[in-house]
Amino acid sequence: MKYLNLLMVALTISFIACNEEENDVPIVATETGSLKVQFDHRVGKAEMKLSEEGSTTYAYTDAKGQQFNLTRFGYYVSKIKLEGPNGELYEDEMKVGASAEDVKGYYHVLESDAASQFITLKGVPSGKYNKVTFTLGVDEDGMKDGAVGGVLDPAEGAWFWNWNAGYIGFIMEGASPDSPQEEVDGGGFKIYANSFAIHVGGWKEVEPLEGQPKKFTNNVKVLTLDFDADITVSPKLGPKAHIIVDALKILDRGEVDFSTTYAVHSPVLGKPIAEQLSGAFILDHTHQ
Amino acid sequence: MPYGLSRACLAIGLACSLSSLVFACTSEKEAIAPSKALFEFAKPTNFPEPIYTFESNPITEEGFRLGRKLFFDPILSSDGSVSCNNCHIQSNAFADAQQHPFSVGVDNRIGKRNAPPLMNLAFMKEFFWDGGVTHLDFVPINAIESDVEMNETLAEVIKKLNAHPEYPMLFEEVFGSEEVTSPFMLQALSQFMLMLVSADTRYDRFQRGVGEELSTEESIGLQLFKEKCANCHQGELFSDFSYRNNGIGTTDKDPGRSAITDTESDFGKFRVPSLRNVALTAPYMHNAKFATLEEVMDHYDRGVVDSPTLDPILKNEGILGISISEDEKKSIIAFLRTLTDHAFRLDSRFQNP
Repeated sequence: MKYLNLLMVALTISFIACNEEENDVPIVATETGSLKVQFDHRVGKAEMKLSEEGSTTYAYTDAKGQQFNLTRFGYYVSKIKLEGPNGELYEDEMKVGASAEDVKGYYHVLESDAASQFITLKGVPSGKYNKVTFTLGVDEDGMKDGAVGGVLDPAEGAWFWNWNAGYIGFIMEGASPDSPQEEVDGGGFKIYANSFAIHVGGWKEVEPLEGQPKKFTNNVKVLTLDFDADITVSPKLGPKAHIIVDALKILDRGEVDFSTTYAVHSPVLGKPIAEQLSGAFILDHTHQ
Repeated sequence: MPYGLSRACLAIGLACSLSSLVFACTSEKEAIAPSKALFEFAKPTNFPEPIYTFESNPITEEGFRLGRKLFFDPILSSDGSVSCNNCHIQSNAFADAQQHPFSVGVDNRIGKRNAPPLMNLAFMKEFFWDGGVTHLDFVPINAIESDVEMNETLAEVIKKLNAHPEYPMLFEEVFGSEEVTSPFMLQALSQFMLMLVSADTRYDRFQRGVGEELSTEESIGLQLFKEKCANCHQGELFSDFSYRNNGIGTTDKDPGRSAITDTESDFGKFRVPSLRNVALTAPYMHNAKFATLEEVMDHYDRGVVDSPTLDPILKNEGILGISISEDEKKSIIAFLRTLTDHAFRLDSRFQNP
């Protein structure tokens, strides 16, 4: 291995030497710029505000008239792609590895972490763009290499199911007086009375054999949002796409009744919620 | 430097590097090959290709040693009382002790299913009785975080390892990072577990034609096994790694595979286990229902209980089970005992140093 490294050094030095000579031939680099995507969490018209766990103050009311609060809200975004009217294309680099710095293209967006709600895409080729596509959740590509680091490290806050190994793509937790959840003191963790936890995961996509039922619940969703106008990326322009994520739409369209839906911890139970996610992500506006 | 010269440099550099590489490797290999080879993953010739993603986690001697240290270290559990080794014992092909039908965790908490042997894991695409885990790296998290096993959190284990007098140095040596993180810890554990290759049984030596003969009874057993058992326990790993309801008619309501596939027709199905070292891994079945191989034979012969998801192989024209005479049972068991790998259970590489 040591000798292989030496070889690499030798090769690298030689290549650098060559490149110095070739640099007098001007290389026309494609101009690039950046684009910022902002995720803005709302509950209906209200800005989302998280409550302390165990709080019995309920700021929000859903279409069923059930009061609730939120204590945790977030999701994974990955495989971000920008497309333009003239074939412009930008695909965010995707990579996994055991080292945190080797993990690229996965974003853990959390209401509790304001910085996580802004994703700056760098190295976007200059041009016009009119839509963004991204994956909500972590699909097979994030699983197939085994343990990986960064925002996918369960010891560093990654959302992971052990028993049905895979990442939880979306979480909404809170409390509602309608939730029959009883208090659980698990020695080290606590589940509060009247709380609810909606965890949406499940990534396995397996085509069924002929005559067999389709197995597994895949709750990973790919969303494409059209911009309200073409936006231009260039070295001098840093445009922004502002996406609103409305928790109330998920609850109302999913017809969530906290008296029965308060402990969602498996792919199949999360499916009705997963089906509503694409409708809850709304491209509100863009800034040029 | 003129253009031509730099090209020449490159060529010479490459040639020099290559030749030194070749020479270095040759002499190095000659000098240390015997011990190095002990820590290299080698696919047994009669095995299928491994499934594990070695390119993400290549095995090194230091990585293997670190994984072994972790495997035997109760630091992974909340109260420092349980290591992997508690339920995965080398003399039992890394299955649990026979007196533990279910795993015993912290505070003597009892698990729900029989702890399986750890062997030939590089060749398996899914893990656990229900196949809920699709990569070996993720397997240990289940034991660490289960409240009836190690009852610890992954984050807390990492904190303890970082505060340990030795581990940060060992992680630095293996992964080039003094900071212990969970992916590195899991990769180290995988490196140890991947090396648990068991393929040196009398059956293997017979199969490879290296002078081993099976007795008449064992040969008859092998033929019977092929006829009556190999539909499911097929190939050199003695499993098709499918999920089946083998009619043990449990009343424990364990959903098995259906909890993973969200498919009702998988209710009560569990993974077909490999039968390598099966004589060492009693009791048998996910719920440890049978204490001996004789009981297992009796089950297939006359104990199969019908249910909506019973495997069709076990219900031919309305007749339940697989007819096996008493003599045949003895022969099959004699054959199964040729699948015991004594070298594996005694291999000093796998012992706590």
